[in-house]
Amino acid sequence: MAQALAVETHGLTKRYSTGVLAVDDLDLRVRTGEVYGFLGPNGAGKTTTLRLLSGLIHPTSGSAIVAGAVPGSPASLARLGAMVETPAFYPYLSGRDNLRVVARYAGVPKSRIDPVLKLVDLTDRAKHKFKTYSTGMKQRLGVAAALLKGPDLLILDEPTSGLDPQGTIEMRALIKELKQGGRTVLLSSHLLNEVELTCDRVGVIAKGKLVAEGTVDELRARSGGRTLRIHATPLEQAQRLLESFLNPDQVRVIDGSLVLNVDPAQAASINRRLVADGVDVSELRVDEQSLENVFLQLTEAPTQPTPASGGGDRSGKVEGNK
Amino acid sequence: MIASFRGETLKSRKRWANWILFGILLITLLLFGYVLSYVIFKNPPRNFQSPVPASVLIRRDFPENLLPTVLSSMSTIGAAIMIILGSLSTASEYGWLTVQTILIQKPGRVAVLVGKLLNLGLITLITSVVALGLAALTSYLLVSIDGSSSAWPSATELLKGFGALWLQLAVWTAFGMFLGIAFRSTAAAIGGGLTYLFVGEALIAGLLRDTPGIKEILKFLPGVNGEAVNASFRLSFRSPNAATQLVDASRGSITLVIYLLLFSILALLIFQRRDVTAG
Repeated sequence: MAQALAVETHGLTKRYSTGVLAVDDLDLRVRTGEVYGFLGPNGAGKTTTLRLLSGLIHPTSGSAIVAGAVPGSPASLARLGAMVETPAFYPYLSGRDNLRVVARYAGVPKSRIDPVLKLVDLTDRAKHKFKTYSTGMKQRLGVAAALLKGPDLLILDEPTSGLDPQGTIEMRALIKELKQGGRTVLLSSHLLNEVELTCDRVGVIAKGKLVAEGTVDELRARSGGRTLRIHATPLEQAQRLLESFLNPDQVRVIDGSLVLNVDPAQAASINRRLVADGVDVSELRVDEQSLENVFLQLTEAPTQPTPASGGGDRSGKVEGNK
Repeated sequence: MIASFRGETLKSRKRWANWILFGILLITLLLFGYVLSYVIFKNPPRNFQSPVPASVLIRRDFPENLLPTVLSSMSTIGAAIMIILGSLSTASEYGWLTVQTILIQKPGRVAVLVGKLLNLGLITLITSVVALGLAALTSYLLVSIDGSSSAWPSATELLKGFGALWLQLAVWTAFGMFLGIAFRSTAAAIGGGLTYLFVGEALIAGLLRDTPGIKEILKFLPGVNGEAVNASFRLSFRSPNAATQLVDASRGSITLVIYLLLFSILALLIFQRRDVTAG
């Protein structure tokens, strides 16, 4: 049975009046109850996409359904909490008064304010003016405002941006906590580690296009997954030997070591062949493909589908198996 | 709509800039509209020259002339303050980017802006009531100090005068609000609005009001129409500075209502269609 979707876009495109194509024919599907990481380098179109989903900007073409309704409609907004780009509040108001304003707009009782202030650990500073807040406190107030409605879908744009290490850890813990109770979180970031630690599934966007989608493990697998790293002497002899019985494309020399894109189960047989040929093997280990490498591979040639995506899927999606 | 109105009232109430503007408006009205003129007309300088004696001119500060005095005093300073107020209410939202914070709450864009309009309508209503009330109190005190007697305008006249004041303040506030949304910059909106008021309306309309051709264009300006409405509330004596009005009071009132609707609708159309971005 198909899983319910919290966000669904079809051919979503945004071209600004300046001619910049920020989002290009985007098909995005965020499942209900998951933490979805929206990953991409700066300028990839993440924030524009989130603005489209929040109804702050209008698409040039394509359509979207967010929390069951058209973005920006009262029906969609009623179930959506969002912090897009910068936490924006009235500098002359205190944190609490800012939340009072938001609560009035959102039509929620002011009794909701204290619990969300407590959740983001801002109770002690709630009576101070927003303009006196540090970056981290502003960020936390932004999350509090997004949570005020008790939304089914939470959109957070770079929530750890500007936070110190402690604040970053706390924010990640908060995001995990928010997921409890079936809430969907759509989280944008350019920090790979953050996405790896918090997200169930990841979508990678580059130059406005979705270039890959799946779990972190699936993305790793499609980009080569695990590799064998061998430190051998003499290097050239080892390389020639390996290329004679493996596909030469599977053998690379990186930082004085041989990196083989093969099934790690072949490690023992490869070691035997090298030793038998008189090559000294001083190190042989299995390397996990880092998400960073995957990210770089995916975003360097965003419009080229990789073989791993299969089936001529333009976006190069890897469907998750949850 | 009610939700955004409630949000707007809270923001307005807590914003010091609004209270400062309110204070400047009232102080200017009382100081320049009443106190200074009373002091000058009570003790006119030796070189004071006027076709109307100072002892008659002083009656402009008394209750019988409450409406023409308040309306003429408010036509420039009131308009300027209201343009600033309207501009601040919308342009600041773009400056702080809080426009996106309020637009991702429950109400749609139309409801958000209508809430803003209702709030500004309430502020202009309160301003009109307080300005008229304080002016009435001041005129009562001055006539008592002077030991003269003076009749109050009739209730109907008071109501009409109050309506005329509220309408004009609302038009200029809507103008400022529209400029704030159009320019998305507080400085540009206030600068543009005040330049129009002082150069477009006060200077050009004042100098060219009798020039054929241009005179026909001037008949459509909000300030010229407001002036015509104000002129229908006559002083108790014949003023030496009374200018001929280009339109009658009825046409002036209708034109002002059209301007109020026009600025509101234009603001709404821009607000509804325009993308909200950080840049």
